[in-house]
Amino acid sequence: MIKLLAKLLRVLNSETDPGQISLGLCFAMILGLTPLLSLHNLFVLLLVFILRVNLSAFLLGLALFTGIAYLLDPLFHLLGLTVLTAPSLADLWTFLYQSMWWRLEHFNNSIVMGSLMFSVSIFVPVLLLSNLLIRRYRQHVMVWVQKSRLMQMFKASKLYQTYETLSSWRPG
Amino acid sequence: MTKWIRWWGLGAFVVFAAILSCVWIFAVDGWVKGVIEAAGTKAVGAKVEVDAADLSLFPAGLSLTRLQVTNPKRPMTNAVEVARVITGLDGLNLLRRKVIIEEMALEGVRLGTPRATSGAVKPGSDVSPEEEETGMFSLSLPALEVPDVKNILEKEGLETLRLLEALKADMQREQEVWESRLKGLPGKAQLAQYEERVRNLKKAGKGGLEGLLGGVGEVQALKQDIEQEIASLTGAKKEFEDTVVLLRTRYKQIQTAPQRDIQHLKTKYNLSPQGLANMSQTLLGPQIGSWVHQGAAWYERAKPLLEGARTVGGEDGPQVHKPLRGKGLDVHFKEAHPLPDFLIRVTKVSVGLDLGDLAGTVHNITTDQPTLGQPTTFAFSGDRLKGVQSVALEGALNHVEPADSKDQVIVQAKGYELTNLALSKDAKWPVTLTSGMSDINLNAELKGQALTVHGAGNFRDLHLSAGKEGDPNSLTQALSSAVAGVSQLSLQADVTGTWEQHDVTVSSDLDRILQDAAGKMVNELAEKFGAELQSAIAAKIAEPMQQLKDNLSGFERIAGELTKRVTQHNDVLNSLLEKSLPTKGLKDLPGGLKLPF
Repeated sequence: MIKLLAKLLRVLNSETDPGQISLGLCFAMILGLTPLLSLHNLFVLLLVFILRVNLSAFLLGLALFTGIAYLLDPLFHLLGLTVLTAPSLADLWTFLYQSMWWRLEHFNNSIVMGSLMFSVSIFVPVLLLSNLLIRRYRQHVMVWVQKSRLMQMFKASKLYQTYETLSSWRPG
Repeated sequence: MTKWIRWWGLGAFVVFAAILSCVWIFAVDGWVKGVIEAAGTKAVGAKVEVDAADLSLFPAGLSLTRLQVTNPKRPMTNAVEVARVITGLDGLNLLRRKVIIEEMALEGVRLGTPRATSGAVKPGSDVSPEEEETGMFSLSLPALEVPDVKNILEKEGLETLRLLEALKADMQREQEVWESRLKGLPGKAQLAQYEERVRNLKKAGKGGLEGLLGGVGEVQALKQDIEQEIASLTGAKKEFEDTVVLLRTRYKQIQTAPQRDIQHLKTKYNLSPQGLANMSQTLLGPQIGSWVHQGAAWYERAKPLLEGARTVGGEDGPQVHKPLRGKGLDVHFKEAHPLPDFLIRVTKVSVGLDLGDLAGTVHNITTDQPTLGQPTTFAFSGDRLKGVQSVALEGALNHVEPADSKDQVIVQAKGYELTNLALSKDAKWPVTLTSGMSDINLNAELKGQALTVHGAGNFRDLHLSAGKEGDPNSLTQALSSAVAGVSQLSLQADVTGTWEQHDVTVSSDLDRILQDAAGKMVNELAEKFGAELQSAIAAKIAEPMQQLKDNLSGFERIAGELTKRVTQHNDVLNSLLEKSLPTKGLKDLPGGLKLPF
């Protein structure tokens, strides 16, 4: 975990495109919030592999959102159940229910539906927000943090040593 | 754009997917084995074990090697052991989370095989003791000695005496009531008053026209008074006669009560030949009843599978089913081509029994018949088996409409050899069927809760042994002799009711044979016992009956008094109308006036 945090710090402080970090976090959000063994997660994983998203951000986000998912399960259940039993959507769900792939997706489960709807609906806002926050961090916070007394103490810590070690491995 | 694409990532994904697939392929067999064992153990309540499971994808199928299902009541014995189970799975439906097996073959099915280790889930917790068989057959043979009548009458409460005492008390009470009522009814005092009023009227009649006219109103009033008294007396007389009729009826009933007492005591002390007329029921009824109970136990075990946890997409919109906690809820929708979640279309079974191999086919094993729309049917047969020429079993478990379920089983066995079958383990009269052959037909039907079973058997080449050596009892000797001579029999058995409460009716030639053999003997004893009882009861009730008769004659006096009073009142009325009043002059009333009576 220390290595992962160090990597994240390195990424935040590096020249990596904020979009790549944000996208990694957002993909991690879908994978972490929805049940792991779902068909859509295979697709998300494929995207994570072939798009140049930041893997450190993805892995850290995955750990973070998986933990959050346990807390949000009751909310996902309520949301999913409401959507699945909405009379106006019954025809759509009945249509999807006939499809083998959608059945394999297990869309008719309240937690799958609720968590997927939740994570997809906040995907773009989270992407934009995290992009903005990373940029602001780099512009305003990073320099101030570097000079702060706390950071000075942190630089003397084991975590920072690890960060430095990893930084030295960076090619080029 | 290319800065966003990581081409080596595609390769990495393929490698990652391949690794996952390999892990799945290597681990899935163990996972399937574990799932089957866990689910089976939970369902049976004892260990279900599989030596090996092999899941293939192309074509989709599953084979199990040595499936053992422990008998929950005997943890060291397998209820069923199957050498090999081969199934062909519908792969596409499996992706839709439906286990649809087109064909399943069960090879080397054996029942009651021993286990190397205990199959109890919790050691010692689920071992129920074997059903106690001794005492199951408690015969109710007719008695052989005439019981002591004096003792019986001392300890038995006779219906005759009970009726006698009740009638005696009622008579006493009625007599007191009527004596009291007689005092309140019109009698001599009222008669004397009326006679006085009549005399006064006569006097008034001699006082000319004015007196005559004044007397008309008085006469009418007197007539009404007397008629009211007569009506009151007549009503009381009628009521009294009804009471007496009722008491006399009860008296007559008491005269026939001793016969009922005698019949009751004969039955109670087993001196009735009816016991012999129903010996088939006595011998085989409990055994058939225990078979029905065994059938009920198996049926109750299978019932949840037949009625199942319905996961059908409803006709009336989405249906919600609650799975494990924390896993959310599955909402099911109507399917265009609905299929149950679990279905084995055809199961071919070969069962190795002690008497040989029995082969058969089961169609449509499912937990959700309403969705499939077809019942589970089965047919098994075996020829030239050890101890039976042929046996066929077929039936249907129809729960397509759960509210109108109908299960039926038909069994036919031809040339079934019977050996050492204990028909009665009673100490007084043990009966054993040493050897014999039989043809048996059985038709059992369970419609809703209503159970109907009809069985018919033809038995031939029978060798029966009955009784004990040196038996001093002449009745059991006669019965044993009769039974030993029986070489063929036909038997009918019917069970009606429900699994929990049912009546077993058994009849056979044996009833007639036994009645012929020992019925006369029992009848003679019964007649002797009856005669002794009759004379003893007659002696016991002679005095109370005479008292009742005397009490009844006491009622005649009351009846006579009531009749007398009615007559006297009528006489007074007649004398008033015909003799006591002057008729001369009444015809000449002015203005053609007429008397109002």
